[in-house]
Amino acid sequence: MPTGRDPETERDGLRDPSQLYFQADHVRRTIIAAYWIIIFLAVPLWWHTTSIERLPLPSALVESQAERELQFPIRLQVPESHAVILPRLQGLLREKTLGHPERWKGLDLQLSVSGSAPTETEAYKLSHRLGESLIDKRQFIHDLSIEQMPELSALLCDLLAPPPTHGNLVFQYSPRYRLAFSLLNEDSASGGYVRTWNITAGISRHISPILSRMSVLHNFTLESQVQFHAPLAFEPRSIPDGEYGLSQEDLTVFVNSAEWTLSSSVSNDAVIHFVIFAPSAKRRPLRILGSDGAPLSSNSFLLPQWGGIYILNAPSSMESSRDLSSVDLDSIFPTFSEQLITLLGIPRLPSSVQVRHANARNVISEWQLDALMRRRTLENTHGSQDTLRSIVRLVDQIENMPFGASVRGDIQNSLAALEKAYAEASTSLSHALTSSAEALTMASRAFFDPGMLALLYFPAEHKYAVYMPLFASAVVPLIATALREFMAWKRQRRGIAGGQAPPIEAAPARG
Amino acid sequence: MRHWLRVSLHLCISLTYVLCTEASNEHFHEKLSLRSLRDGKVASTFTFTTVLNGVEPRHPETLGSKDASQHYNVFPLALGQVLREYGVTELHLSMNAGKWNYEQWGYPDELSAGTGAELWVWMGEGGPLSIEQRWDGLRNALSGLFCASLATMDEQRTTSPSMTFIPEGALPIWNRPHLLRHASLPSEHVCTENLTPFLKLLPCKSFSGIASLLNPHRLFDSDWHGMGIHVLWHPDKGVEIRLAFQSVSDPLRVSRSKRRGMCLSLKPTQSSSTKSPQDWSFRSLFNRQIDRQCPVARTSTIEVALPVNEAYSLEPSPSTVELNVARFYMTNESVPLDINFRWPAEFTYPVNPPSQSLVPLSVQRTLRGSSQAHGQVSVHLRNHLDESVQAMYLETMPWLVLFYLHTLQIKLDDAPRDDLISNISYIPSILHSRPTTLQALITVPPKATIRLTMDVTKAFLRYTEHPPDAQRGWDLPPAVIVPLVNGTLRGPAQPSLGSRIYTPILLVDLATPDFSMPYNVIIFTCTVLAFLFGTIFNLLTRKFVIVRLTLNPGCTVHDL
Repeated sequence: MPTGRDPETERDGLRDPSQLYFQADHVRRTIIAAYWIIIFLAVPLWWHTTSIERLPLPSALVESQAERELQFPIRLQVPESHAVILPRLQGLLREKTLGHPERWKGLDLQLSVSGSAPTETEAYKLSHRLGESLIDKRQFIHDLSIEQMPELSALLCDLLAPPPTHGNLVFQYSPRYRLAFSLLNEDSASGGYVRTWNITAGISRHISPILSRMSVLHNFTLESQVQFHAPLAFEPRSIPDGEYGLSQEDLTVFVNSAEWTLSSSVSNDAVIHFVIFAPSAKRRPLRILGSDGAPLSSNSFLLPQWGGIYILNAPSSMESSRDLSSVDLDSIFPTFSEQLITLLGIPRLPSSVQVRHANARNVISEWQLDALMRRRTLENTHGSQDTLRSIVRLVDQIENMPFGASVRGDIQNSLAALEKAYAEASTSLSHALTSSAEALTMASRAFFDPGMLALLYFPAEHKYAVYMPLFASAVVPLIATALREFMAWKRQRRGIAGGQAPPIEAAPARG
Repeated sequence: MRHWLRVSLHLCISLTYVLCTEASNEHFHEKLSLRSLRDGKVASTFTFTTVLNGVEPRHPETLGSKDASQHYNVFPLALGQVLREYGVTELHLSMNAGKWNYEQWGYPDELSAGTGAELWVWMGEGGPLSIEQRWDGLRNALSGLFCASLATMDEQRTTSPSMTFIPEGALPIWNRPHLLRHASLPSEHVCTENLTPFLKLLPCKSFSGIASLLNPHRLFDSDWHGMGIHVLWHPDKGVEIRLAFQSVSDPLRVSRSKRRGMCLSLKPTQSSSTKSPQDWSFRSLFNRQIDRQCPVARTSTIEVALPVNEAYSLEPSPSTVELNVARFYMTNESVPLDINFRWPAEFTYPVNPPSQSLVPLSVQRTLRGSSQAHGQVSVHLRNHLDESVQAMYLETMPWLVLFYLHTLQIKLDDAPRDDLISNISYIPSILHSRPTTLQALITVPPKATIRLTMDVTKAFLRYTEHPPDAQRGWDLPPAVIVPLVNGTLRGPAQPSLGSRIYTPILLVDLATPDFSMPYNVIIFTCTVLAFLFGTIFNLLTRKFVIVRLTLNPGCTVHDL
């Protein structure tokens, strides 16, 4: 830059602008550089504050847990007196295991000879006795002769790994169930209706024994109501002999949710419904029709994962109203207890096997309960593994999905509970079940966490649209000035290299 | 040891509970009362009472533990579950539409006649859940049950005016006291979607009995209608649920439109010439008749109030007549039933309404002032009696309107009379969280009108606090006036209160923003910022030079 005073400027009484401090080249360049440095430093901060919280997922852990299989050791002990049958039984059972890999998944059968030492309580024991097969606690009493081995192995197979119920009848596992008993009169004003029922007696005689046995798996709440007008949503068809029939298609739409207030509004527990439906006097008797159109002898049916319905056809010569006594309910409630057993997925005993000291029907033996607990634990672990895998896949797929600390906490808790379930599988069945249920609850809570949906509909484009009015208009002069200064600097360099004084810019910079 | 005691106590309670819910201990009664009003309208009140004998409300201490199984016959299970889940002792929910005309119609049969929804609950204190948690859960459960927005009655609308809303039934004596929670939602409008769940709580729904007259097309067409759910406890009876539906229909309006139709069709029938427009029947009021009796109702009663000193005819003939009330006890033989009430005299509409009001006090409340920031609440109280009347005055105002209590003035004929107001209890509002509660005892001299005024400011709302239809304004809950029966206040524990009078609701216009604002603000702020930034940045980095212009001879500066 030229130094010394310009005589002409001096003469006009003006100061040469290039003499001013802030007009010095280095000051100007520092100012421009300062702006750019601030921008470059601010970009990471801006990026951080506007980005979605996505914590690192424990995906590797999830994958490794999902690969793992739960193994339940089942120890079966043969009495010392019949140790000879051990190899033959082992061979037959191995054959069965290989024949039905689905049923035996997760089960590890170990046969041994029971010693004189006190045996573990968890082990199943075989005892010899001629005559009918009996179950006493965890002991199975059967003819242990070598020619009975094929039959014994088949029975053991059904007891330890019962065949799964066909269809989706069984309720999803839930730690709490609500049992809702409803007595529905289709139209009580048309006469011949049921006014009251002795529900407490019916429950205590037929339902409570099952519930108390199942209390290791679930908690139950009971409630009941009577409705006097519960119309159907369709007209049952008329069949010969003045009777009315429900076809198989009618059964699927039998429950009239719009008119029957059956569901509970105070809790989100799964509800198992048991309904006694008394058709109106005009439509009696109401029969269930088979697929061929002929009436069936049964008057009850089961709706998968919903509950059971019993159609109560009152005798035609009936007084205006009646009360169902506990004796009347004794003919209805066995149906409900059968349906409850099916809906809860309790396996059936093979028909040739009896339970010792059984003073009532429907006594649930240790073998059935153990088999059910093993199956439920396996279902829960599979369910939580699948859910966890889905979360990982979902979070990887959708990049705008926030993934916060609460979801990660739930996933970690679920993984910890799974780990615990694996560890407890070999020691305590009920603890393993509790842990697996906790794992499933945590995994589904993580999956349905409302925090994951927060920014799904606020895409990055929206963010840019909001900031564009500021950024575009502020950055353009910055870039323009930077470019111009860079050009000037280059020209200056060239000028110094060429030994010329740099030309003074003729036009002032335009903003 | 204590644990075992408690368990056995629970067993005892649940055992008595189970024993008590046997069929014989549940009664259902239905009643319909009809009366003709002075202006030719007909007020009808449906009352459905279910009594659960020998049952006590759930003790709040047992809320954390598992409840006994609930087995009901005619008692509504859906409501019973809600009551037990939150340990409610007494509950009153009302949802009304329209303005009840106290001067012409007198007191309604069910006292809760304020416009919109009102919920007040007495709950015992103690136990693992706080009153606030239970109140919150109860509101949510009820709004699910009745398809109403009761869940929005949060702590911003909840008050506890226990001097005005005293329990209708009895409160069990537990070691902790009972507390009141009250909230009202004036903008809630009752309609068919609320009536459907209401009908499902009745044992006979709307299929038989008196409830079959509840025809939504006619009820929601009437001049005033409202439903109420009341739960009480009596130590000698047990828990009582009273479901009520009230409506005021106008036979004149219906017959007028019918006449018009007949005139158009030019075929006047014989009956129309003899028919007075004031006549009513079930057919004309509800477009239905009672075809079948509800089989589980212990009593089905229809009451018709008979006019004094006027001719009438009533068909069919009632079972009993006493003290100007005709009663019909429905039996299987009496159905189908359609009650016809005829006035032989031609109806003349009272052009000059009789000056004698049917209630001792008439109330008028207005919100004055055109500004969006300030205003004045003004209440006119007129005493129609020849003796002075004392009344409880209650305002439960949301924080949207802020009272200045020091500006409270009470005037009789433009002369200040501060002695007419006493016993003021005032809980000021907190912005964005708590409403105002103002209770006072007011004396109105005989045949006089007093004027109460108070300055208010209107709150400035946050952007997110505005409702979806913000330009409409906010509905303010009605004030409640309760005249004291014998003119004295015996003390807060047992005031002898008369019937509640609700004022009409108010509409307040608050400052409302332009809701397209956020993007405009962003654009505007960005433009200003960019302009300022550009200017300063330019000044900082501009290079100033002096350009000399040498003018050629013959050129002027203007040529440049």
